[in-house]
Amino acid sequence: MRSIARSVLIVVCASLGSAALASTDAATAAVAKPIDDPALRTRVTTLANGLTLLTLEDHATPTVSLQVWVKVGSGDESRFTGIAHLFEHMNFLSSKNLAKLGPEAYTRIVEERGGRINAYTSRDVTVYFEDVAPEHLPLMIALEGERFANLEVTEEALKAERQVVIEERRMRNENDPEGLAFETLMSLTYQAHPYRIPTVGWLSDLEKVNAADCQAFWNTYYAANNLVIAIAGDFDSAEALALIEKHFGSLRQVAAIPRNPQEEPTQNGERRAVAHFPVQAPIVLAGYPAPATGHADSDALDVAAGVLAGGRTSRMYRSLVFDAPLALAPQALYWELQRAGIFVVGATLRPGVDVAKAEQVIYAEVAGLAERPPSPAELGRAKRALEVAWIGGQGTSHALASRIAQDYVAYGRIESLEEKLGAIERVSAADVQRVVRQYLAPSKRSVVQVFPTAEPEGRP
Amino acid sequence: MRAATSALASFALAAALASCASSPGAEPSRAAPEPFAWELPAAIAAERPIVDPSRLQRATLANGLQIVVLEDRRLPRISAGFIALRGAAIESPEELGAAAFTAALMERGAGARDALALAAAVEDLGAQLDVSSDWDTLRVSVSGLSRDSDLLLGVLTDVVRRPRFEAADAKRAVAEQRAALVQAKDDPAALAAQHFMRALYGAHRLGTPAAGTDATVARFTSATARAFHARVVTPNLAILWAAGDVDAADFLARAERSYADMGGHDVAGLPEAPPIPEKRRVVLVDRPDLGQAQIVIGHEGIARTDARRLEAQLLNSAFGGGGFSSRLMARIRASEGLTYGIYSQFSQNRVPGPFVVSTFTRVPEVGKLLASAFEELERVRTDPPAGQELEHARQIRIGGFPLALETTDAVMASLLDLDVYGLPRDTIDTYRARMRAITAEQIAAAANALVHPERATIVVVGPAAALRETLAKYGEVEVVAP
Repeated sequence: MRSIARSVLIVVCASLGSAALASTDAATAAVAKPIDDPALRTRVTTLANGLTLLTLEDHATPTVSLQVWVKVGSGDESRFTGIAHLFEHMNFLSSKNLAKLGPEAYTRIVEERGGRINAYTSRDVTVYFEDVAPEHLPLMIALEGERFANLEVTEEALKAERQVVIEERRMRNENDPEGLAFETLMSLTYQAHPYRIPTVGWLSDLEKVNAADCQAFWNTYYAANNLVIAIAGDFDSAEALALIEKHFGSLRQVAAIPRNPQEEPTQNGERRAVAHFPVQAPIVLAGYPAPATGHADSDALDVAAGVLAGGRTSRMYRSLVFDAPLALAPQALYWELQRAGIFVVGATLRPGVDVAKAEQVIYAEVAGLAERPPSPAELGRAKRALEVAWIGGQGTSHALASRIAQDYVAYGRIESLEEKLGAIERVSAADVQRVVRQYLAPSKRSVVQVFPTAEPEGRP
Repeated sequence: MRAATSALASFALAAALASCASSPGAEPSRAAPEPFAWELPAAIAAERPIVDPSRLQRATLANGLQIVVLEDRRLPRISAGFIALRGAAIESPEELGAAAFTAALMERGAGARDALALAAAVEDLGAQLDVSSDWDTLRVSVSGLSRDSDLLLGVLTDVVRRPRFEAADAKRAVAEQRAALVQAKDDPAALAAQHFMRALYGAHRLGTPAAGTDATVARFTSATARAFHARVVTPNLAILWAAGDVDAADFLARAERSYADMGGHDVAGLPEAPPIPEKRRVVLVDRPDLGQAQIVIGHEGIARTDARRLEAQLLNSAFGGGGFSSRLMARIRASEGLTYGIYSQFSQNRVPGPFVVSTFTRVPEVGKLLASAFEELERVRTDPPAGQELEHARQIRIGGFPLALETTDAVMASLLDLDVYGLPRDTIDTYRARMRAITAEQIAAAANALVHPERATIVVVGPAAALRETLAKYGEVEVVAP
C-alpha cells in the first residue's frame, strides 16, 4: 500500500485490524424488501490475450472506479520477500512515455483531475485503482495501459523507493506492537505455506533486492492472462471495452504462472512465541489454521467469530471486559485468504493484567463454544451483523468494483448478494459447534504473547 | 491542460479528440502520431449537484432543536443521530475527560434497558449504536436496516434523554478510560501528538488529551456523567438528523413527539482561543527502543469558522495535504526516500486548533528530515504555490470534492458539520466556485499569515541519547519521559 496508515485497505495485508475488515466481507439473510444487487449486472469479457474485463454500469453513482487486479501477492514470493509489495511501489515511478513528465507523473495526472489513485498488496493479489469522475475514465485506462506495457525499472528509482518501503515496514511491523504480534502469528501458524511471509517483507530482503529481480518478477507475473480489470460506476461498457482492447489488447501473455507449494506439515501440538516490547498494554493472540475462502465452512466460522467477540453481548466481551477487567477490546476473526485461512482470537489487554490468566479465559470461551452451541439469540445476532454489513457495503463505485473483482479472482465468478446472504442464513448452531470443534482445537493453535517489559538480561 | 480558461473551447476539443481515441479505425491523419491521452486537454467533469434539494428537509422545533433529514431510498438502511453542540472543550480543569466518560456511559443502559439489554436490543438487529465526543460535540447515532427504524429511533431517544448512568457501569467505564489513556501511549504517533499539544497549549484545555488525565478520570462517578449530560444535552444547542431510507414527514412527526417537551438552557464554559506561542520549543520524548522516530512540527492555526479557511485548505493541499504530489511528499518521500508519509494539516475546531506537519523516519535521518521540512516551511512563504502548482492543488480540491461526498452518509456528515459550526448552509453548493475564485495573491498572503516556522514547536519521539544533539540546533532540548 502506498498511502497513509489510516486507509482501510492498508491493514488487510499487514495487521489484525484490517484482517477483521477483510473477513466481514461475508454475510447473511432475510431483508424485508428485495435488494437491488447491482453486481448481478456485471459483464465478463475475456480478451484474446487472456485478460479478463468485468464491467458493471451503475448510473446511480456519479463516479467510476477502475481497478486492475494482478493475481500475485506475497504468497507468490520465493527468493526475496516483500518483492510483490515493493514492486507495487515501483509501478508508480516511471514508464517509457511518462518519463518526460517528471517524478510522480501517475499520481499527479490523476490527482489534478480530482481523482483518487492508490494501490495495495495482499498475500494473494496486487491491486491498482483510480476513482474518478466518469469523464476521466478514458484517460485512466490509457494511464493503466501505459503502466502495464511500458514500466521502466531502474536501480535509481529503486534506491529511494526501497527506503520508503523500509520506513513502511518499521511503522507497521516494528514500531507497532499489534503489527509485530500479527506478523509473528502468521509466521508461526504457517511454516511451509508461503502465507508465513509478511507482505511488507523482511528487512534484509528489502535491503538486498535489486532492479533485475524486480524485472524478473514483472516478467513472470505481470502478464495479460494474470490480470482482472474491474470497472464499476457511471460509464458506458462498450466504450470502456474498446479502450481496454486498445490499451491492453497487445499486452503479452505467458504460458504458465508459477505458484508456490503450500502444503503445511501436520501440527502435533501448540506453538508459542514470546516478544518483549516496551509498551504498557500486553497482547495475546492465538491463531488456528482454517480453510481458504469459498469453503463450505467459511460462513459458520464467520458466525463463530461473531458469537465470540462481535459486540458487547458477545461471550469474550462478557468475560474479558464486562465481568472482569482484563481486556480493552477482545477480537475474534476468520481471515479467509485464497489459498488458506486463519482463525484468530485474542485481545490487547489492560496494563498490568496477567497475560497467562487472560489467555486461559479466552481459551475457555473457545472451548465453551465447542461444548455449548450458540443460543438462538446469539446465532441471530451474529448473522444479522454480517447481513447488515453486506447491505451497507454497496454504496460506492469503488466498493462495487472491489466486490466483483474479489469474487472473480477468488471464485472465477460473481456471487450474488442473495447467495451470500442465503449461505449465512443457513448456518445452524450445530454448524458453529462443529467448526469450532474441528478447527479450534488446542493442539492446532499458535500463540503469540507480547509482554510489556524489556526481556530480563543475564539468562543463558 | 489544467483549469481551462475557456471551458467551452477546450471541452469541444477534448470531446473531439476523445471520440477519435476511442475508435482508432477512424483516425483523421496517419502522418502525425496520435497524442497520448495525458497530452490531450483535460476532460471537463460535469459539476453534478452534491445535494438534491428535493431530498433534503430541515425544520426547527419550538424549543430550538434543529432537524435535518436527507432521504435516499435506494438501500434499505437508515442512520440517525443527535448532536449536542458542546464537547470536551468546555470541561473545567477538575473534569478533564468528562465528555468522553459521559459518552461511554450513555451507551451502557437507557430507558427500560440496562447495559446488556441495550446492547442486545441493538445487536439483535445487526445494528449499531455509537456515542462519542470530541472537542466541540457530544454525539449519539444509530444505524441499521430501515425495517427496524421504530426500535432504532426509540433507542436513540432513550440514550439521548434517559441514560441510566448506573454506578456499577460508571466504575467499569472509569477503569476502561484509564486503561485506554495508558494504552494510547504505546502508539508512537499518538504519543507524539499528545506531547505536541501539551507543549504548544500548556494549561489551555487543548493542552490535555480530550480523554482527560488519569488523575481526573480516577475521580469520576456516575454523578460526573449525569451532570455533564444535563449540562450539554439541551435542544436549543442540538441537531437531530436522519439519513437514508426514511420518510421526512414521518421523521419530523416522530421528532415532535419525542423531543418537543425538552426544556432548554444556556451552556457556559466555551474556552478562549488558545495563546499564540512566543517562541519555539523542542521536546524529545525518550523511547530508547525505537528505530523509527515520530516527528510533529507545528504552531497555532485557525478556527473552523476562520474567513481564510478555504485559502488555508488550498495552501495546505499544495504544501502537504494533497496526496502524493504535495511539496512535502514529493521531496521528502519520493525524492529523498526519508519516510513513508509526511502530511500537513490545519486542525480546525470552534477555537483555533494547530497547524501541524507530522511524519516519521529512521533515527539516523531525523536531522536530514527536519532540515528538509524546515526548508519547505520557509519556502512556502518565500515561494508560495502559484501558476501550475496552484492550479494542480485547486483541481485536487475541486475534483475530489464530489468523490468525497459519494454516499448519503458522507453528504449528511458534511451538512451536519456546517450546522455544528454555524457555517452558511449553501457552502456545499458554492464550494467549487469559491475554490476557483481564490487568487495566487490570496494564497501568498495566507502562507505568510498562517505559516511560522520560526516559532514552530518540534516534538520527536525516539531514543534521546541518539537524537539530543541533532535537535539541539533547533533550540534548547527538553527531554521528557513518555
